[in-house]
Amino acid sequence: MYTQPGYYNQPGYGGQAGQLEMGHGPYPSIGAGGTVSPQVQQWFNAVDKDRSGFITAIELKSALVNGQGQNFSETACNLMIGMFDKDRSGHINLEEFDKLYTYINQWLAVFKTYDKDQSGHIDEQELSQALLQMGFRFSQEFISFLTKRCDPKGGKISVDNFIVLCVQVQRFTEAFRVRDTQQNGTVTIGFEDFLKVALSCSI
Amino acid sequence: MTFQSPMPSREFLWDIFRRVDKDRSGYISADELQQALSNGTWNPFNPETVRLMIGMFDKQNRGVISFEDFGALWKYVSDWQNCFRSFDRDNSGNIDRQELKNALTAFGYRLSDDLINIMVQKFDRFGRGTILFDDFIQCCITLYTLTSAFRHYDTDQDGVITIHYEQFLKMVFGLKCWP
Repeated sequence: MYTQPGYYNQPGYGGQAGQLEMGHGPYPSIGAGGTVSPQVQQWFNAVDKDRSGFITAIELKSALVNGQGQNFSETACNLMIGMFDKDRSGHINLEEFDKLYTYINQWLAVFKTYDKDQSGHIDEQELSQALLQMGFRFSQEFISFLTKRCDPKGGKISVDNFIVLCVQVQRFTEAFRVRDTQQNGTVTIGFEDFLKVALSCSI
Repeated sequence: MTFQSPMPSREFLWDIFRRVDKDRSGYISADELQQALSNGTWNPFNPETVRLMIGMFDKQNRGVISFEDFGALWKYVSDWQNCFRSFDRDNSGNIDRQELKNALTAFGYRLSDDLINIMVQKFDRFGRGTILFDDFIQCCITLYTLTSAFRHYDTDQDGVITIHYEQFLKMVFGLKCWP
């Protein structure tokens, strides 16, 4: 798809070709559904505290714990529910949960490969490597900005924040690419369109 | 257009502060503030709005509000309340599409119906097609933040900017706290 020289691989212009497509490094994607395994069914029942037959972001949040021993952030849970909640009802059913379950497990596996020192979190250096392997080459300054966004004091990125960060980078990059008609890493954008991108791609 | 309310007395503020500061720590935490604020429904106050407000008035950057910061915060909430009520023409306790459009027009924005729809969809937390008080604050602060970021680059003020990839990302990334 993106066979042009990979300007996203460089902070400025130029760069190597062919590193643009997603999937060069591990990056989860939403797969097709199949039959739901008993294990997933069990998980679903455990998470669905009020036995409504649906899982909300709040139920998901109380079921997921990151490497720091904290529950997943509300933002991360809203994001993930939103991805699989096709009818925008604010909750997901068993079939949708099945896909979400796979998705989260993929992320956990990805996170582990990037968490080189097995600390349970990703630091600035590890984030830089992770994004690079996903096909994004950012300046050190921008990596630092992203890290501080997640954890202003410690610079530690937990798995839930990591998911949110990667999904946001991907969505905004996609929106940018569409508008970067010259493919030179610059866009000329009007106020309304800018607002539209910012609002509809953010979580 | 102004929605200024007078600053209440220190005694009045102290009384409120003590009631909000449930654990008597001398500071108001995000949870305490969230419990104290109402959006006119039984649903909890938008946590993102709470975070935004604490971030604005927490001078010492500790994630809590001291009594010194509290007066300014109280006034801020009151001003927003006046603003919200003045645009909630039908006194329904929420702002619909048209009321939001009127409000943003009064603030000096000229936005298409398409964008107003995106905003309602984005900030309407309960899928009712309307915006509650807390969501209205979040909506306005977000719009303000984005506008400021845009203006920063729009030096010739023609409503169009040319920016690099990382500049773009920084502008749109500044929006929301994740943790």
